[in-house]
Amino acid sequence: MRRTIDIRLRNTLVEIGAARDALDSLGSEFDMPMKPLVQLQIALDEVLSNVVKYSWQDDAQHEFLVRITVHSAGVDLDIFDDGQTFDPLAAPSPSPLQPGQRPLPGGLGIHMAKKLLDDVKYERIGGCNHITLCKRFDLGAVVERNEK
Amino acid sequence: MNASVLTIGQIRAGNVCIMTLAGRIDSTNANDVQGELTRLFGSGEKSVVLDLGAVLYLTSAAFRVLLVASDEAERNAAKLVLCSVAGHVRDLFEMGGLTEVFTIHNSRDDALKQFA
Repeated sequence: MRRTIDIRLRNTLVEIGAARDALDSLGSEFDMPMKPLVQLQIALDEVLSNVVKYSWQDDAQHEFLVRITVHSAGVDLDIFDDGQTFDPLAAPSPSPLQPGQRPLPGGLGIHMAKKLLDDVKYERIGGCNHITLCKRFDLGAVVERNEK
Repeated sequence: MNASVLTIGQIRAGNVCIMTLAGRIDSTNANDVQGELTRLFGSGEKSVVLDLGAVLYLTSAAFRVLLVASDEAERNAAKLVLCSVAGHVRDLFEMGGLTEVFTIHNSRDDALKQFA
């Protein structure tokens, strides 16, 4: 069994807070351990900020969808947006820094998301970008308890 | 999870300005940190310690802010050091390959000694 909630956001950075708070609420409801919850929050912020900054090139208001699914084996986050094709996984990982070298701003977020999660997937489907973030940890007992 | 709000504090230790951050630093609030650091360097602060001991987590938005602030400090002939970067916050710095980019001290006291 699973619990799914959908959050519709507009393409501004401040709106990302609504998805963050929804994930927090589910974290409390399902007694999620702090470490995977933090890892999910970081990855969610990285991906959503990319969507807000890069999916649309105009100044218009757009909406996109964040779906949070809690199940016995962990949490999946699905992000759907109808912006231009943007595969964050296609970006190369940042190169290791040499002594004295400064990293360039940007490019780090998706690298962190991939490191923190068990799986990150991208597909272009029906004119939408669809990114899936998966974190696996045992929630079986809590999911069962909350269903009773 | 508590600490949903980022709290930015500021105290003085002699000529050193200590900025304390508590909570989470993400894309929704990283600009607040940048604004405060820009204000400090713009107002002539030459010695700034950024204490991250109460930070729950930070994202790459925070790293961008720290890199920009580091450049601002250099342009203003000021010095910015970090302290109390521990636990998974330190893990994130290491993940980003950033532990060597910033001057990081284990504790606030250690950081202050640098300015003594």
